[in-house]
Amino acid sequence: MGQTLVYGVLNGALYGIIALGIALVFGVMRYLNLAQGSLIILGAYGILFLFHLGVDPFASMPLIAFLLFLLGGALFWASFSRLIALSEAGRIKNSLLISFGLMLLIDNLATLLWTGDERSITPAYSGLTFGIAGLRFPLIGCVGVLSALVIIVALHLFLARTYFGKSIMAVSQDHEAASLMGVNVNLTCLVSFAISVGLASIPSALIGLKSFSPTVGIQWFNKGVIVVMLSGIGNINGVFPAGLFLGIMEAISVYFFGAPYREVTGLVVFVLVMVLFPKGLFKRQEL
Amino acid sequence: MMRRRAWITFCLAALCFGFLPALIRSEYFLNLFLMFFLYVTVAQSWNLLGGFTGQISLGHSAFFGTGALITRLIWTAGVPIVPALIAGSLSSVVLALLVGVPCLRMRSAYFPIGTLALAMIAQITVANLFPLPGSLSRGYLTGYSMLSRYYLALLVAMLTVAVVYWIVRSRTGLALVGIRDDEAAAEAMGVRTFKHKVFALMVSSWLVGLGGGIFAYHQVSYYYSAPFELSWSFLPTLTTFIGGLGTIAGPILGAACFLGLSEIFAISLGEVHLVVFAFTFILVVLFVPGGLMSISTKIRSLTARIARRATRV
Repeated sequence: MGQTLVYGVLNGALYGIIALGIALVFGVMRYLNLAQGSLIILGAYGILFLFHLGVDPFASMPLIAFLLFLLGGALFWASFSRLIALSEAGRIKNSLLISFGLMLLIDNLATLLWTGDERSITPAYSGLTFGIAGLRFPLIGCVGVLSALVIIVALHLFLARTYFGKSIMAVSQDHEAASLMGVNVNLTCLVSFAISVGLASIPSALIGLKSFSPTVGIQWFNKGVIVVMLSGIGNINGVFPAGLFLGIMEAISVYFFGAPYREVTGLVVFVLVMVLFPKGLFKRQEL
Repeated sequence: MMRRRAWITFCLAALCFGFLPALIRSEYFLNLFLMFFLYVTVAQSWNLLGGFTGQISLGHSAFFGTGALITRLIWTAGVPIVPALIAGSLSSVVLALLVGVPCLRMRSAYFPIGTLALAMIAQITVANLFPLPGSLSRGYLTGYSMLSRYYLALLVAMLTVAVVYWIVRSRTGLALVGIRDDEAAAEAMGVRTFKHKVFALMVSSWLVGLGGGIFAYHQVSYYYSAPFELSWSFLPTLTTFIGGLGTIAGPILGAACFLGLSEIFAISLGEVHLVVFAFTFILVVLFVPGGLMSISTKIRSLTARIARRATRV
């Protein structure tokens, strides 16, 4: 049981970091980026390519993050920027449709380019574990938790302390008021979209070290969106606890119902939360 | 006038497709047309919910798969196909009532995600419960005739188009379109929006369940989870948007394009048609919300304008 919980927490951290990218875009622009999972897988292919050239996956992460950042900016500029003027419901619906097309596009291009085979990045340390108090801790999972914590704290500081971060928060609260205060709404949206796509590089590395194929993107997106809905929309600080919550829930379900129904548990929890608590579990009362 | 023209088109199409097997004996073409009818059924039933009522569902694979699963199980147990088909499609409606209706309770912008989650739950569960492919036994194989599959698929596709047309032209159809265009306004005008959305979901899942039954009747051997694959949710979304959302002819046109492209590319390039379709889909959502149908009316008005200018000169 203890061991199951360890794996739950490690997976939960990964879910949290996937959800971070989705939550940022959703919070600021009310865009639901269905393609986030596919972008993560795209990043994983990039890391795999560099790994074959002899670069360590964690070392190539910043480069992939930068490339994804540029790609995100380009995607926003080419398509998503056209939706900013729409109403909130219109933005959710249309961004969902566009990113749905984008997801199919990326997945099928990836299948064409790299075949549908399952891949995995295998550096020398990929199977290492260490033991504390009788429990096994896989090295990569722990690095994942650590990087997730670092990124979340960094993002929080960026949003709360820097001028640009504050303008992102302002846009997330009210587009019109922010633009009246002199915030360049379009630029802010573009940069936050690009950041959210860039954030995909961390799960890229972590998922790449497990295993991936062109079509699994949507499953990882689902984990992310479950976490976002659990934490409550626009609540970036709740993403990490919600991710851990989902990870632990799944671990417990594996303990009771067996591994095949792990995915189902998360999805059932999601549907129940959507129907019963539409505002999320970790949302503070709005002012 | 409009109604008579629709009637004539409908009867002509029925006649053409009805006599087609007398002219074309090739199994390949019959198969192709059967897939066309299947795609039309799935896309048109999706269109009732997504195009006319404005509730974009990414969960139709769950209803399609349930129809296929139940029809297959009852049919292979020895029941004739027509009762099995009816039972299968009704089981899709039951599933829609049990799990789809809670999704309609969500804010409508989250309906796609909720239904997507349902589709994934259904796919994983069925893949776990039925890990082996289901093949027809020898008795069914010796009696296998392509023609009966062809006509049943044609019947279901015609039924789907007729039912959707009839609903859309009725008072209920007006209420559905009202919900799509402005839910709050429709509610204020006295439309019971939730009841109408449930009705649209039920009819849509019934029709797509019939399509699933056709799939089960047609395929000789497949994994029980195959009709639950998410591509059966993505297909109607793509084809209906590209053909023309909220029109009767749109999904038919979209399905024809999709099938044509996939056949052209199947010989040489495999999955390229999906790349082309996904890209076109993004362009349609961004620039041509009416799809191919609106392009044809645009061209018609353009040629009319040119003709008018020409006669004036």
